[in-house]
Amino acid sequence: MYKVKIVVVCGSGVAMAMHAAYKLREYLEKEKLYAHIDGCGNNELPGKISAYDIVVSNAQVTVKTDKPIFSAIPLITGVGEKELVEKIIVKVREIQEEKSNK
Amino acid sequence: MGNINFNDENMKQDELSIEENLILVKEKVTSREDIIRKLGNMLLENGYVKDTYTQAVLDREIEYPTGLQARVTGVAIPHTDTEHVLKPAVAIATLDSPVIFNGMGMPDTEVEVDIILMLAIHDPKLVVSTLRKVIFILEDDEALKKMRFAKSKLEIKSIMFNHIRSLANK
Repeated sequence: MYKVKIVVVCGSGVAMAMHAAYKLREYLEKEKLYAHIDGCGNNELPGKISAYDIVVSNAQVTVKTDKPIFSAIPLITGVGEKELVEKIIVKVREIQEEKSNK
Repeated sequence: MGNINFNDENMKQDELSIEENLILVKEKVTSREDIIRKLGNMLLENGYVKDTYTQAVLDREIEYPTGLQARVTGVAIPHTDTEHVLKPAVAIATLDSPVIFNGMGMPDTEVEVDIILMLAIHDPKLVVSTLRKVIFILEDDEALKKMRFAKSKLEIKSIMFNHIRSLANK
């Protein structure tokens, strides 16, 4: 089974990416989805993005990419979190299926 | 991301300071810069940050704003790179009337903020357990409500500690 790779991005990678990444991992594991989740600072993203399937960011993503990008803010405030997590779960399943069948 | 157990009940494993000398209550300020400078000075005077910290926070706030619209109110979490920090702490302020911060991840939006949690972090991994609990207060509607109306530094500190403890006991 392909392990979907998610990068959680924040301004400097100091704290908030880590917080959001932990929450996301918990939500995914509840769905029996075991993704590879890393955190990084926004300035590192251009060099790293090619290694990931999904970007979850609390900074504006300025890098040009066709990869799916989600806001990390709902994971920090709790506002709109359920809806966000549902969308990410759908995307993780989709990518997992697509890449496992290759 | 290592396998850090953030459910660890032992809060003494890190030394993220949340102290009365780092708290301001119903502070009257005119701008976000004003409150960031006041909290920055408290962190500096108490030996938590270098003298470069406050300006670094102000600069970062322009590039990566930290206003967050929680259900109950607007909260900002100004912070900056680890190199400006000596010892980890959270400085807390409630405001007499709100000031505008731009929205995290959405610099074009404005958030009316009346609670500020200014983070001084020198190594996120060392303080992740307590730091995450502090950030979880954004989702704790009752704690935020109480904090807005708190009348003393001690009251604010107690609200934060009770919130942190409530997560430790989960």
